[in-house]
Amino acid sequence: MSLPLETLKDRAAGDALLARFGLDLDCALLVGDGDTDWLVRIERGAVRRVTLGPLIMPKTDLRLRASSDTWSRFLEPVPPPGYHDLFALRRYKRIQIEGDIRLMSAYLFYFKRLFELLRKA
Amino acid sequence: MKPLIEPIFGRYLRVELLGKPHRLYVEEAGQGIPLLCLHTAGSDTRQYRGLMNDPEITRHYRVITFDMPWHGKSSPPAGWQSESYRLTSADYTRLVLEVCDALALQRPAVMGCSIGGRIALVLAMEHPKRFRAIIGLQSGATIDPYYELDWLHHPQVHGGEAAAAYVSGLMAPTSPEAERWETLWHYMQGGPGIFKGDLYFYRGADGDIRERLCAIDTRVCPLYLLTGEYDYSVSPEDTRAAAERIPGVKFSVMPKLGHFPMSENPALFLSYLRPVLDEIRAA
Repeated sequence: MSLPLETLKDRAAGDALLARFGLDLDCALLVGDGDTDWLVRIERGAVRRVTLGPLIMPKTDLRLRASSDTWSRFLEPVPPPGYHDLFALRRYKRIQIEGDIRLMSAYLFYFKRLFELLRKA
Repeated sequence: MKPLIEPIFGRYLRVELLGKPHRLYVEEAGQGIPLLCLHTAGSDTRQYRGLMNDPEITRHYRVITFDMPWHGKSSPPAGWQSESYRLTSADYTRLVLEVCDALALQRPAVMGCSIGGRIALVLAMEHPKRFRAIIGLQSGATIDPYYELDWLHHPQVHGGEAAAAYVSGLMAPTSPEAERWETLWHYMQGGPGIFKGDLYFYRGADGDIRERLCAIDTRVCPLYLLTGEYDYSVSPEDTRAAAERIPGVKFSVMPKLGHFPMSENPALFLSYLRPVLDEIRAA
């Protein structure tokens, strides 16, 4: 499994940046690595649950999918240029970002932080 | 903590720019060769705080920087409420020249970053005799759009936070956390729609200057291009592609820096800049 999504809820709990930038956020976020999908349920800025796929036609607000190789590089403690940020992945067409882009733009710090937290040991 | 007053001082310049009266905020520090510094889109003079606080540089250079109209402490022109701000290459070029004239700068060196790095190329192309040297940071001749600008100015999105979040990844992950967040704070303080309006300059009719680069004559004015390796807006490959079209240009990649070298990690940036400034001074 390339993304430690099963640990996300614990990693996110009490994080000061998520608290600051997640004000009033409700979102169903789908994360995929090509083989596996996860559904991250965020309520009022807190990660409530993470459901491991396969998912049957889930209702989602935002969907982020990249290959497991891309995610592995992204998760390196000091990722190489071009793999160090969600929009670096976007710039080089290594990630698919679909869904409510207004919501993503309004909470972009939150979403970036969420994925950064996966990077930490 | 012992109080310290920095050697930077700021003043307001009343001047006509682009045919309209303006109140422009200008900072400077040091003495010697004038070095005019241009900030990035949606930001302000504070990006150059490291440079202006460095005694080795200000011993030989009079470092000058200004908040572009609509940015930082410079006001927009009267009547701004009924117009949409959109920067163009021609206006930005004229702005730089008019500020040089207003401050009576005699053949200054000029250094710009990002949109300032692009205008550095345009100045090298169109006005090389006005400058003793030109330094472009994160300079590219064209840009590959990778996100929708409309979200930077939308009633349902906080423009400052969105602008800061979009640019946040352009910095090197190894840059000091405090400097990175200082850089982002400047973005969070930008006026509504201003970052987006600056980027029009990249995507408008004159957004691709690749074919014009061959007009740059570095024998008239030396041109230096420095690009941080973590920038994906203007990547080292983008600057290299521009540099390959300009005979005599001096191009280098700055490891462990991103799109805001002077602000995200001033100490590391200065280690790359010092040899360039020494060379300009020796010329």
